[in-house]
Amino acid sequence: MMAEHTIALVSFILTLMVFSYVLGDLPLIGVLYRVAVYIFVGMAAAFTLVVSYEGLILPYLQDIQNTETSWTALGNSADIYIFFTALIFGLLLLLKPVRSLAWLTNSVYAVVIVVGAAVAVVGALGGTLFPLLHHTASIPANLVADFGALLDALIIFVGVMTALFYFHYQVRAAGVAGGGQSRLARGFRHAGKVFIVTALGAIYASTLLTSLTILSERISFLFQFGVA
Amino acid sequence: MSEEFNWLEYAEPEESAPAPSPLRGLSRFLPRLPGRPRSPRLSFRPRLPGLPRLPRLPRLWRGAQPAPKQSSAADLLGTQDERPLEELDDRLQMLRERSAANLRSEAESRQALYDVDEVLTAPEILDKPGGVISAAALSKAQQQQVELLKDIVGGGAAQANEASGGRIRLGASAFSLSAIPRIVGTAVLLLLVSLPFASSDFSEGELPPAEFPEDRHGATTLYNLLDNLTTDDYVLVAFEYGPAAAGELDSIAELFLRHIVAQGAKPLIVSSNPIAIARARNIISGINRSVASSGNELVHLRDYAILRYLPGGSLGLRELSENFSDVARVSYKGELTGLEFESLDDMTHIVLIAERAEDMRQWAEQVATQVERTRLLAASAYAASPLAQIYANSMDEIVGLLVGYRDAYTYGQKLDDDFGALLPASDEPEVEPVSPNRASGGGESQAEGAGATVEPPPPTEPPPPTVAPLPTTTPRPTNTASPTATALPTATATEESIRVVEVISPEQVRIRRGPTRADDILRLALAGDLFAVIGTNGDGSWYNIALSDGLEGWIAAFLVEEKTLTAAEFLAGGGEASARNPDERVYLRREIIASLGKNRPRYYQVRGPIGGDIPEYALLRDRSAEVPRLEAMTLGTLGAVLIIAGGNVLYALGALRRRRREVDIE
Repeated sequence: MMAEHTIALVSFILTLMVFSYVLGDLPLIGVLYRVAVYIFVGMAAAFTLVVSYEGLILPYLQDIQNTETSWTALGNSADIYIFFTALIFGLLLLLKPVRSLAWLTNSVYAVVIVVGAAVAVVGALGGTLFPLLHHTASIPANLVADFGALLDALIIFVGVMTALFYFHYQVRAAGVAGGGQSRLARGFRHAGKVFIVTALGAIYASTLLTSLTILSERISFLFQFGVA
Repeated sequence: MSEEFNWLEYAEPEESAPAPSPLRGLSRFLPRLPGRPRSPRLSFRPRLPGLPRLPRLPRLWRGAQPAPKQSSAADLLGTQDERPLEELDDRLQMLRERSAANLRSEAESRQALYDVDEVLTAPEILDKPGGVISAAALSKAQQQQVELLKDIVGGGAAQANEASGGRIRLGASAFSLSAIPRIVGTAVLLLLVSLPFASSDFSEGELPPAEFPEDRHGATTLYNLLDNLTTDDYVLVAFEYGPAAAGELDSIAELFLRHIVAQGAKPLIVSSNPIAIARARNIISGINRSVASSGNELVHLRDYAILRYLPGGSLGLRELSENFSDVARVSYKGELTGLEFESLDDMTHIVLIAERAEDMRQWAEQVATQVERTRLLAASAYAASPLAQIYANSMDEIVGLLVGYRDAYTYGQKLDDDFGALLPASDEPEVEPVSPNRASGGGESQAEGAGATVEPPPPTEPPPPTVAPLPTTTPRPTNTASPTATALPTATATEESIRVVEVISPEQVRIRRGPTRADDILRLALAGDLFAVIGTNGDGSWYNIALSDGLEGWIAAFLVEEKTLTAAEFLAGGGEASARNPDERVYLRREIIASLGKNRPRYYQVRGPIGGDIPEYALLRDRSAEVPRLEAMTLGTLGAVLIIAGGNVLYALGALRRRRREVDIE
């Protein structure tokens, strides 16, 4: 119980320290905010280190010592190769401070980046691009009965086309054809701009709601602490 | 220095460079001709004393080499052709004009600075107390130059503008008057958000509804899928949020966990954010505190498990989807969990709680595309919802999307309604355990006293093996075409024929609440599953089928094959009616259907475990701050809108004043 009160008190003080940023980055007051942030960053880094060590590294080390209770099936030679490859890569990362050997670290980075990019591209194709294309291009089977879906599909189609036009097809008509952009082209651009601004406005409003939710939670905590 | 420099009109003198060869790009692939100069190379062989000479690596591995020209993005941009001014967007034209104006004022400043060397002379030293510095007397021109220098480096701005009242000196740094609107706005916002906590008189806006509207991003489907979990089910719960979003997403995460464990299923918590693991532990501790009096505290690796942290972003998620058996074997503390799974498809559902749209995207790309049967049930913060909805709407693998604190409130209301106890007084019966036989006899049930705590019902007898407990009077889905009544399998004897359908699609088939694809998904079926037919829709394209737990659903006709079997054959063939678990009970649950502005209650049945104090997990939670928080959000939104609108008005007035001043000068 005592520990809970202590934690609540520390949370209360840290919350007030963060709220001090409202007054700006002033001497003395600004330090409070920065101290709170540094405490959080330090604790987050330390906690990440502990979780990484206990959940990722320690099981491997234990497994090497006791192969009978192997959960990684290190008896499998392929897994052994994978483990030692990862170990070597990890050790090579430690060479980064040695300037003349930093290229070895870069090689490890290159492997990670290339593999990560490959995974990301494959995932983006199957998880984002194709589903979105399918959804954008889909037309309901029964146009009359599913008029709402038809309307959705139309709005999505117009939004995609005009946004593309706004971003990419701002033609250099004046220089090439000798004339300005047609009214139709300008109309498309403006429509694309409206779609983009509406989308950004929706994202902004959603972010505002998130901020207010978090603020209400903190204010609730402060009041509850005050009552307690 | 007298001529003003204007980069907008400045043109680089053209060099007499030879025209580029059309084969320039191919030259590196052509054989080198004798006498052709070799391009200079940078030596990249690291050498340490005492170490053997290292072999030369391919160029690709040696890192990017700076090109002799165009080494930066700015250089590259600078070589691009300028676009004619009239082609630019209005906003860009204004920006360019403003930039030109700034350059003019900057050129004037530079002019004054360049003259410093010429006119700055040694100050006259006066015989004054306070040392040399205080005794230095500057001429008026020198004083102006010093002020200009101070203004540029920012040190003496407060003193320089003190006479005009522009800034107030506070301590060692300047406290700008321009900060006052910000502080006032923040104070107003804090005041508005605090009012509902200080007094119940400041309650603005309506609370969220007690039920999700039918088509609210599939939220009802999400709830029903979790509500149909049983003791054999495992649910992977992904905590993808950090401390910043905890104030918003902790509530929905807690409700998910409470619902899952109340159903008797086991949540397996996983995250690619290590701090989220701490959040999960915190929530579990809160649940345990709430049920501590009954001694039903959740135990790690028995009732739930927090799996190891997934590093590497998308790589970690790909490992999870392709190598789930290894991930599930170790907890976040490095303990062996004893969980043996083959793949993610062994999970009944995957529940994702995402703070950012990026998290949603990564799970959609790396996990949802890799599972075959398991579905991803999603919840997100408000900030991520615009993009998260795109994935929820466009991917069949993602079901439902709960957004923010308001949906969490509705979800909690549904939990309270369904589990029935500890509710405020109400005229409606909240939860009524009914036996399958009674349910099939018309859905009648005994209403319990309003607000009474529901005790765990006595175990219901399993249905007799010769009688398929198929409901005959279960309410029809409200948003469907009136089904054509066909042979209803009421009180079927073993020799009586039953009209059934068998799933023939090799893919997973969805059973929906109504005969359209827009209706919520009740559950999923696989090839070979048998269901008794209750009826069909008008054109026969959908079958209305009975499910074993008292629900009824709709399945598309082209995915199934209709047959006529005896009850014995139906049960022997694995018909859903034979799948009742004797350790489970049947609940009658209430649902409010929002249709054409009217809220109509509807009852349906679901299975649930016969447990001791399991409903406590869902019910015993602190709800004291829920309503004030929602009211605070409403008032805060109002305040934010007012502040934004007021700021825009002030900005517009300022712009008008500046424009009038410019007109006066002209």
